[in-house]
Amino acid sequence: MIVYILKRLAIAIPTLLLLIVLSFLLMHAAPGGPFTQERGLPPEVLANLNAKYGLDQPLWRQITSYVWGIVSAFDFGPSFVYKDRSVNDIIAQGFPVTLTYGFLSFLVAVLVGVTLGAIAAVRHNTVIDYFAVGLSIGAQVLPNFVMAPILVLVFTLALHWLPGGGWRFNDPHFWVMPVIALSTSYMASIARIMRSSMLEVLTSNHIRTARAKGLSGLRIVLRHALKPALLPVISYLGPAFVAMITGSVIVDIYFSTGGIGKAFVDSALNRDYAVMMGITILVGALTILFNLVVDIIYGWIDPKIRY
Amino acid sequence: MVIDSQKMQSLAAATAREDIAGRSLWADARRRFLRNKAALFGLLLLVFVVFFALFGNSLARWSNDEIDFAVMGQAAELGGPSLETGHYFGTDDLGRDLFARTVQGTQISLAVGIIGSAIAVVVGTLWGATAGYFGGRIDNLMMRTVDILLAIPYMFVLILLLVMYGRSITMLFAGVGLISWLEMSRIVRGQTLSLKNRDYIEAARAIGVPARTIIRRHILPNLIGVVTVFATLLVPNMILTESFISFLGLGVQEPMTSLGALISEGSGTIAYGTLWQLAFPLLFFVTTLFGFFFVGDGLRDALDPKDR
Amino acid sequence: MKLSVAISALALLAAAPAGIAATVPEGTKLAANQSYTFWLLDAIKSMDPQINTDVEGSDILRNLFEGLYNEGPKGELVPGVATGFDLSDDKTVYTFHLRPEAKWSDGKPVTAQDFVYAWRRLADPKTASEYAWYMELMQVKNAAAITAGEKPVEELGVKAVDDHTLEVTIETPLPYFPQMLVHGSTFPVREDVIAKYGQDWTKPGNLVGNGAYVLSQHLLGERIEMDKAPTYWDAEHTVMTHLTALTINDKNAALTRYLAGELDRVEIPAGQYPRLKKEYPDQAISSPYSCSYTYLVNLSDKGPEALKDVRVRKALSYAINRDVIVDNVLQGGQKPAYNWTHWATAGFKMPDIDYAHWTQKERTEKAKELLAEAGYGPDHPLKLTLNYNTSDDHKKIAIAVQQFWKPLGVALTLNNMEWKVHTDKMQNQDFDLARYAWCGDYNEASTYLDFFTSYSGHNNGKFLNADYDRILKESKTAADPQPLYTEAEQILADQMPLLPIYHYAKVDMVKADIKGLPTENVMQTWYGKDLYRVAK
Repeated sequence: MIVYILKRLAIAIPTLLLLIVLSFLLMHAAPGGPFTQERGLPPEVLANLNAKYGLDQPLWRQITSYVWGIVSAFDFGPSFVYKDRSVNDIIAQGFPVTLTYGFLSFLVAVLVGVTLGAIAAVRHNTVIDYFAVGLSIGAQVLPNFVMAPILVLVFTLALHWLPGGGWRFNDPHFWVMPVIALSTSYMASIARIMRSSMLEVLTSNHIRTARAKGLSGLRIVLRHALKPALLPVISYLGPAFVAMITGSVIVDIYFSTGGIGKAFVDSALNRDYAVMMGITILVGALTILFNLVVDIIYGWIDPKIRY
Repeated sequence: MVIDSQKMQSLAAATAREDIAGRSLWADARRRFLRNKAALFGLLLLVFVVFFALFGNSLARWSNDEIDFAVMGQAAELGGPSLETGHYFGTDDLGRDLFARTVQGTQISLAVGIIGSAIAVVVGTLWGATAGYFGGRIDNLMMRTVDILLAIPYMFVLILLLVMYGRSITMLFAGVGLISWLEMSRIVRGQTLSLKNRDYIEAARAIGVPARTIIRRHILPNLIGVVTVFATLLVPNMILTESFISFLGLGVQEPMTSLGALISEGSGTIAYGTLWQLAFPLLFFVTTLFGFFFVGDGLRDALDPKDR
Repeated sequence: MKLSVAISALALLAAAPAGIAATVPEGTKLAANQSYTFWLLDAIKSMDPQINTDVEGSDILRNLFEGLYNEGPKGELVPGVATGFDLSDDKTVYTFHLRPEAKWSDGKPVTAQDFVYAWRRLADPKTASEYAWYMELMQVKNAAAITAGEKPVEELGVKAVDDHTLEVTIETPLPYFPQMLVHGSTFPVREDVIAKYGQDWTKPGNLVGNGAYVLSQHLLGERIEMDKAPTYWDAEHTVMTHLTALTINDKNAALTRYLAGELDRVEIPAGQYPRLKKEYPDQAISSPYSCSYTYLVNLSDKGPEALKDVRVRKALSYAINRDVIVDNVLQGGQKPAYNWTHWATAGFKMPDIDYAHWTQKERTEKAKELLAEAGYGPDHPLKLTLNYNTSDDHKKIAIAVQQFWKPLGVALTLNNMEWKVHTDKMQNQDFDLARYAWCGDYNEASTYLDFFTSYSGHNNGKFLNADYDRILKESKTAADPQPLYTEAEQILADQMPLLPIYHYAKVDMVKADIKGLPTENVMQTWYGKDLYRVAK
C-alpha cells in the first residue's frame, strides 16, 4: 500500500514538470506580454520592466530559476500584473474561497446524488424514480452559465433572499448560489450512476440470497447493497473533481467570489505568467492528489483490489 | 454529462467475448436497440436536429449575418418571434435572424461534437491498441504517459491554447478532441490485451503477418462496439465543452456562431425581455444533447445486455 | 450641457476657493447611512500611485491619496494639497505652496519632500513604472533621461524648497501643466512606509495615505472597503463615511445586483439605456465622457496597398452609418464622431467637417463614387480585415460596419482577438483596420491630437504628415492653441488616417439619493469626499 502511494507520488513529479514546461512555452510563444498595453511603453521603460521581472533572461534560465524558487522557498514569484501582490498572496486569498464552495458543492453533489440515485433504484419504476431520472437528465444538459443568471433573478432580484454575488466566509447566504450552480450537474450525474449501479446490485445473487433469508428491505440496501453500488460513483469522483475546477471559473465570473478560477482566466488574458503558472501547478497537484485519494478509497471499499 | 467508465469496461468485455462476437452480436444488438423506446426517441431527436442543421436554411427568410435595420436596437419590442417578419425565432440585439443563426449554430455545434469526438476516438484507439498489442516496455511507457496526461487540467490548457493562438475552428476541434482520448485509450488497451492472446491472432503472428496488419484486420474490428458507444456518448460532452469555451468568449469568429455562443448571449440578456434569444438555441442545444445521450445509452445497452 | 471652461494658470490662481469638499446645499436632510457602494469591472491591479495604470485604479487612488490639485464638479481645478502656485516669467518654474494642515493617515504632516520622493520614484528606472512616461509628458526637466537610465534620479526637475514649498522645473512652457497634476501617478507617497513594507506597503493596515479615506479591506477581485480618514485636512466637510467597491466581471450581473439594491452606481450595458431611462428616469444618467472610438487605418508599409489611397479611406469612413451605431446599437447618449477629439473637450472648437453635415444617403453615394474611382466595387471587391478585441459592444459595432460596407463591395473579415494579442498586432503594424479607443489623460485637445504626430509613441497606423507635426509643435508654445487644434483636425478629416465612429458617454445607473457625483465633468473624475446621501 505505502509502496503504491510512493510510486504514484513519484509519477507526480515528472507530471508537474511537464505541466510547468508546457504552460511556460505556450505562454511565451503567444503574442503580447504582461507589459503589452494600450499606450505602448517607451523602449527604455519596457527594458526596465523586463529587467525587473527577469524577462530579459533566456527562456531556459527563466524556467529553471522559477522551478528553483518553488522547490527551495515555495516562492511562486511576484505577479506581473497585480504588482503589489505575489502569486502566493493571490493564491492565499483565492484558494480558500474556491476550496470552500468547491468542497461544499462536492459534498452536496455526492450526498444528494447518492441518496437520490439509491432511492430511485429501490423504488424502481415508480413516480419517484421517474422524477429522479428526469431531474438528473435535465440538470446534466443545462450549462451552469445558464443556471447562474436564473438563480440570481429568482433568489436575488425577485425574492431578495440571497446576495447576488460576492463572498463572505462568515455568512452562508453568500455560499448558496455558487454551490447550487456548481453542484447541480454533478449531482445529477452521480444520481444516474448510482441508480444504475444500485439496480444492478439489487438484482445480483447475493442480494437475492439476503432477501431470501428474510432480511428487511432497508437493511439490505444499507448493509449489503450500498457499498458495492458505490464503486462506480467513486471512480467518477476523479473526473468530477476536475470538471468542478473548470466550473469554478464560471462561478467566479458570475458570482464575483474572488476565487482562483477567475484568477486563472485573467492571468491567461493578461499574460500574468507567474500567476498562471502558480494556479496551473496548484490545480495539477490537487488533481494528482485527489485521484490518489479516490484510488485508495476505491481499494478500501472494493475487496477485490489489492495493492 | 458523464460516461460511466465501469459500464464501458463491462461493454468492452461483452463485445470481446469470442462466443458472441461476430455477426450475431450485431443482429441481436439491432433488435434490442429497436425495442428500446428511449433510444428510438433519441434517434428521432437526432434525425430532427440533423435535418434542421442541413436543410433549415432553405426555410429561413434571412441569412445569418444580415441585419434587419427595422428591428435593430429595438429587439425587445420588435424582434420577437413572428411569421410576418420572417424571424421565426425572433432576432438578436442587432436585428439578425435568430432562426438562421440557430441553424448555423447547430451546424457548428454538431461539427465540433462529431469531429472532436472522432479525433478523440482515432487517437485513443490507435494509442490504446498499439500499447496493448505490443505490451511490455512500450505499453508501460505509453500508459504512463497517459497517466501523466490525465493529471493535467485540460480545460486550463485549452483556455491557454485559445487565448494564445487566437480562435479558429481548427484549434477548437483539435483542442476539444485532445481532451478526451485518454480514457478511450485505456479501455481500448484493456480490450486489446485480452484479444491478442486469441488463437487466431497468435497464429497470424506465427506466420509472420506484420503487426500493423494484425491490428487493422483483427483487433480494430473487435473494438467497433466499444468505440461507437464511446464516441456517441462523447459528442454531448464535446458540445458542452464548446459551450463553456463560448461563454468565455473564446469560441468561433463572428458572424459565425455556435449553440453555446447563442445560449451564452441569450442568458446574458435574460432579464431584458428578449427571452427567445435564450429559449430557441437552448431548445436545440438540449435536444441535441438528449439525442446523442439516449442513442449512446441505447447502443450500449443493446451491445451489452444485462439479461444475458 | 454646459461645458467646463479651459482654465489658464492665472484664472486658476484667482478662482481657487478654499476648502472644497462635499458642498451640501443649505436645508438638505442627510440620510443616517452615509456609505457608498460602487462597481468595478475588474480587480484593481495596484494601489500604488506610481504603479497603477488603470482608470478604475485611479478612482480608488483619488480617495486614498491626494495630489496637488483635485477636479471640481465641472472639471475645474480645485486646490488639493497645494493652495496655489507662482509661475516664473519664462513659464518653466512652478512654485507650489502646500497647505500646512495636510496630514497623512498616521498623523504626520504631508511635506514637499513626499512629493519629491514620489515624482522621482515615478521616473526612476528601478521602479519600472508603466507610467514613467507621464513625467516626460509633463515635461518635467530630465524626466526622459532619468527613465532611460542616463541621468541620476536626483536630477529630476523637482525640489523641496522647504517643508511646504515645492518647486518644479519643466523643459518648455506647457499651458495645461497644472491640469496634469490631478493624475494619480503624481500623488505623494511615504518613503519610510515603502522602505518598511516593500511591495506589501499597499495592503490594508500598512498603507499610509493622505486622502479622505483609509483602506480597511482589499480582497483582490472581490471587494475594497474604505473608511473616512479623521486625519484628512478637510475631514470636517467630508460627509460620506464609508466607501465600498465591488468587483463584478459581468455587466449584466452587475446591473441585476444594482436593481436588487446591492450597489449605488453601475454601468448600463449597451442598448439598455432607453428602457431603464423609461423605467427609472431619476436613476439612468448619460453624460459625455472623454474617450473617442475609432477604426485605425494601417498606413505603414505592412498595410494593404488599397488603404494607401485616400479615396478608399474616405469611402470607408463615409459609408459607416454612425447614427445607427449610436442610436440603435449603443443607445446610451453617445455622439456620432466625424473627428478625433471628443466634442466636449474643454475649449475645443470643432472644425467644419464637410461630411458631418451630409445625410447618410449622400455619404453612401459619395462613398460608392470614390471607391469606384479607386477601382473597387461589387464586381471587384475590396478585401479587408478588421481586428477588434473581445467585447460585446465592439463585436456589435464590427458586425454593423461589415453590413454597411457590404453594398459597396467591401468584403470585411472580422477578426476577434484577446486584448493583448490585439495590442501586440497593432503595435507591430500587423493589421488592416483595427478598433481603437483613446481616453483623454487630461481635459485638453492635445491629449488626443498628439496621438497622430510622427514622433508620438502611439501612432500605430503610422500616419506621417509634416504639416500636422508642425502645427502641433507650434501649438505647444502658442498663446491660444485652439485654432491650431482645429486646423490639425481638418488635416485628419482630409487624410482620414482613422475612421472616427463615436464619442463616448458615461451611461450609468445612480441611486437617486446619492448626490455630489460630477455630471458635467467630461473626465468623469469623482471623489468620495464630495458625495453625500440624502434622506428619502
